[in-house]
Amino acid sequence: MTIDTQASDADLIVASLAEPDLFTAVFDRHSAEILRYVYARLGPDLAEDVTAETFLAAFGCRDRYDGACSDARPWLYGIAVRQISRHRRVEARRLRLLRSALADGPAPDHGDRVAERVTAARLGPRLAAVVAALPRQDRELLLLIAWAELSYAEAAAALGTTSSAVKARLHRIRVRMRQQLGGSNPMNDPMDEENSDG
Amino acid sequence: MGEISTLREMRPEAPAAELDAMRMAAREQFVTRTRRAQRARRRWRLPVLVGGLTAAAAAGAAAALVLTSGPAAVPGQHGRAGHAGLVVTAAWTVREDADGTVTVYLQQYADPAGLQQTLQSDGVNAIVRQIPAESVTVGGQTVEYPACNYTAFTDAEPRAVQQAVWTLGDRAAGAVFTIHPEAMPQGSALFLAFLPSVSPKNGAAGLITLKPVVLSDDTVPACVPSKPLPTAAPLPPSGP
Repeated sequence: MTIDTQASDADLIVASLAEPDLFTAVFDRHSAEILRYVYARLGPDLAEDVTAETFLAAFGCRDRYDGACSDARPWLYGIAVRQISRHRRVEARRLRLLRSALADGPAPDHGDRVAERVTAARLGPRLAAVVAALPRQDRELLLLIAWAELSYAEAAAALGTTSSAVKARLHRIRVRMRQQLGGSNPMNDPMDEENSDG
Repeated sequence: MGEISTLREMRPEAPAAELDAMRMAAREQFVTRTRRAQRARRRWRLPVLVGGLTAAAAAGAAAALVLTSGPAAVPGQHGRAGHAGLVVTAAWTVREDADGTVTVYLQQYADPAGLQQTLQSDGVNAIVRQIPAESVTVGGQTVEYPACNYTAFTDAEPRAVQQAVWTLGDRAAGAVFTIHPEAMPQGSALFLAFLPSVSPKNGAAGLITLKPVVLSDDTVPACVPSKPLPTAAPLPPSGP
């Protein structure tokens, strides 16, 4: 068996069928990112366990991994989403806490993204409420794009759908969010409303 | 500014050190449970597949895995450009890149003999040892302290050589360091000393600190164990 350091995730996963210890390398590559996402969704009490469960579930079904997908991130996110969905009450509470925290004001920030942070602080509580009220599947997609920073194609792979379906669904979600936030895009100042990215 | 970027700014973040600690704990869960599952499967299959092979021998064989794509490894030979390999164990991962650079990701101090052998196979003339600990009472508190002041007795290469040979990663927990074997002077050795922490937590076994140093030759002080001895139980590193 030959694997070099440039081995793709697919190579490692396939090789791990014969040598299970190799899957640890997949964990080492992607666990920080998955953990960060799970933490954002569920908070500190469950992040560690759900991350471990995600990789255990991945390990258990690695024989069904599509070897044509060299990057395992979308696959892992798909599994993480299913694990997260088992803790809906925790997530709902997490979103309520997020709304409260945002309503209390932003943490001091002197970086180069002040404008974005101020906007997020101004609209955060309402946006958090809207996200919490979204149907579960819409929320999963939205947060894979916004918090996991997956591309449309990666989100599609994670959710087992197509890029075009993701794009269309995301458009519907954004329209719905804007309606619930007041009928226009409240993220923009009135002066540049015409340039809204909708 | 759109909803996506606004949402992105709202994402709850944990401090890096907290995330790293959680990741280490999740890794331990993952490794422990997958190993347990493998042992269970092995026990089920042993009578059928391997007959007289003992479970202990089978577990040992599965403990470390070496995969290489280059020529056969020659211990002590430096800078075999073009070779690339990956060794994964529950305690540590060693990766050799195509340019000969070797990266060590240390999760636990365990299997030092395996780590030494792997590094030597990757062209690093490495000596891996745990420095013995002794109990010292300071201000009424008993702490574990290195019993061997090895730094006073080792013939270390100049600082410039140290900097050229190894660099530390920035991980808060665990230890990551990169070795450049081609920068090691002829006849030198990389001494990886694992030291007991001076601040044990709640009377439990202390953390282990890693101190790499390039020696002019492979002579270590008499107070350093002559062989890489296993620990009674794997210990987490506190970082270099």
